[in-house]
Amino acid sequence: MRRLRVGVLIVLVLLMLLVPQLGGDYYVHVFALVFTNVILAASLRPSLTCGQLNIGHSAFMSIGAYASALLAKNLAVPFEVSMLCGALVAAVVGLVIGYPSLRLRGVYFAMVTVAFVEVIRLIAQLWVPLTRGMSGLSGIPKPNLLGVTLATKASQYYLALFLMLLTLLILWKLESSRLGLIWKSIGMADNLAQSLGVNIANHKLLAFMLGCFFAGVAGAFYAHFIRFLFPPEFGFLMATNILVYNYVGGRGHFAGPIVGAAFLSLLSEPFRGSAYETIFFSIAMLLTILFLPGGLITLPGKLAELRWWKSASAHSPSPAA
Amino acid sequence: MVEERIRSQSESRRVSSALLLETHGLTRHFGGLAAVNRVDLRVAEGEIVGLIGPNGAGKTTCFNLLSGFIRPTAGTIRFDGEDITRLRPHQVVKRGLVRTFQLTTLFQELTGLENVLLGLHLHSRRSLGRALFSRRRFPPDEVARSREVLEFTGLASQADQLARNLPHGHQRVLGIAMALAARPRLLLLDEPVTGMNLDESGRVMALVKTIRDRGVTVLLVEHNMKAVMGTCERIVVLNFGQTLAEGSPAEVSTNAKVIEAYLGAGLAHARG
Repeated sequence: MRRLRVGVLIVLVLLMLLVPQLGGDYYVHVFALVFTNVILAASLRPSLTCGQLNIGHSAFMSIGAYASALLAKNLAVPFEVSMLCGALVAAVVGLVIGYPSLRLRGVYFAMVTVAFVEVIRLIAQLWVPLTRGMSGLSGIPKPNLLGVTLATKASQYYLALFLMLLTLLILWKLESSRLGLIWKSIGMADNLAQSLGVNIANHKLLAFMLGCFFAGVAGAFYAHFIRFLFPPEFGFLMATNILVYNYVGGRGHFAGPIVGAAFLSLLSEPFRGSAYETIFFSIAMLLTILFLPGGLITLPGKLAELRWWKSASAHSPSPAA
Repeated sequence: MVEERIRSQSESRRVSSALLLETHGLTRHFGGLAAVNRVDLRVAEGEIVGLIGPNGAGKTTCFNLLSGFIRPTAGTIRFDGEDITRLRPHQVVKRGLVRTFQLTTLFQELTGLENVLLGLHLHSRRSLGRALFSRRRFPPDEVARSREVLEFTGLASQADQLARNLPHGHQRVLGIAMALAARPRLLLLDEPVTGMNLDESGRVMALVKTIRDRGVTVLLVEHNMKAVMGTCERIVVLNFGQTLAEGSPAEVSTNAKVIEAYLGAGLAHARG
């Protein structure tokens, strides 16, 4: 079973490496955005595992995007450095927001994050001298690595792939370590975790900041890839989409947000930017709640169960006979 | 400043050499109700003390106060000579005062082994670097230590079962195993045998005695009078948040005030 999984992973990565060879610039563009969405969805997971409902994750993407773009544009900082700075700024803002508000439980914390996403959007809109406000920030340089500009879409695609795989590797290692066990314990029974000596406030904060950091990474890549930032893009809608990726994919396994983000962003691609996108996400969320409460990752198990049940009822004599 | 603190600490330690836990005038109001009212509790090192009383007498509030989950309205709590009145739960545990919970409060979706591994939280060496670069999920010595605790509590065969799939009795024992993994000096057990049959409760009470014999002091709340009388060396009776009586099981069970309190609350409880 483990070998099968590793095999599937290798094949998937090979396929992803081949996308620029097989498809044109359109596919390269779409898949690079899918990878950003995967980073965003996966980076929300540590906080969700701790039982903290964060409906404002896009704010940290926005912070990472603007910080990295402004550094690169105004101060000609190389991409590696500006991306890292963007991610760190997002994490520090996460610390400032998280320290007081993570003491709030459940819905109260969620409300703080909703308010925060609007605050960040308004700052980006109104701080015109710095962000150009509603005119949008343009002229962001293309990403570069070690002084070499990644001029082609394909090279930027590989950068996105690399950033996604690195992010997933780090988050996976952390989740499967003792740290991940602590996150789960806080989500399941925080009073018991406390009674075993876990400083739940600190651990929630660490999980939250980690998520902010990688949302910042996604934002920085996005800024240098699209090369245009528009404040309303990172609003409440995107924040809920990130949450929906997690729920539609499934909360029970690390693969959940990855599957959810890939599945939904590929399927919603025809509606991107239109009003239908919202409808599509709502329907996906509703269908999941109704038919697959455990998310898409529980689908194979459910299908196997169904097949077993069908074959069992086919072999047993029907009550009428 | 620091020297002063050390000196005052060692002095108080000398004065109350055998006393591990001492509350003075412990009081907690909920609105107008005094759930715990001026309770002076003393637990000496190596004792098994029972805290009993009719429903609503303030036993669980007492536990919540001692373990730092709620703050007292008045009074002090000293543990091993140190004032722990204002500490938060995870800081209380660090000093060696570990509690269990009344119901089956467990990490239901984790295995028995993982539950106990979390009990080891305070004694594990962990860092982001170790988490990122180690090939193993958990350090082998911590896994071995957790298996030892499971063995000791008779749960060795359940190590890989999800906690929610364990039978009720085993779930309660797993709760104790997790607390033990935290290496307590004083163990607070909240109703450890409630809902168990005679056979199960007998085994748990034997386990409690073994735990004490290994050097852990035990303070327990329990409604099962047979278990309490057979295990505890000293019993404190609470009623309406106040100490009603204190003494050996024989003294307490013949105390007129205690009998009255229990008869008032229902004869069934007194007979267990």
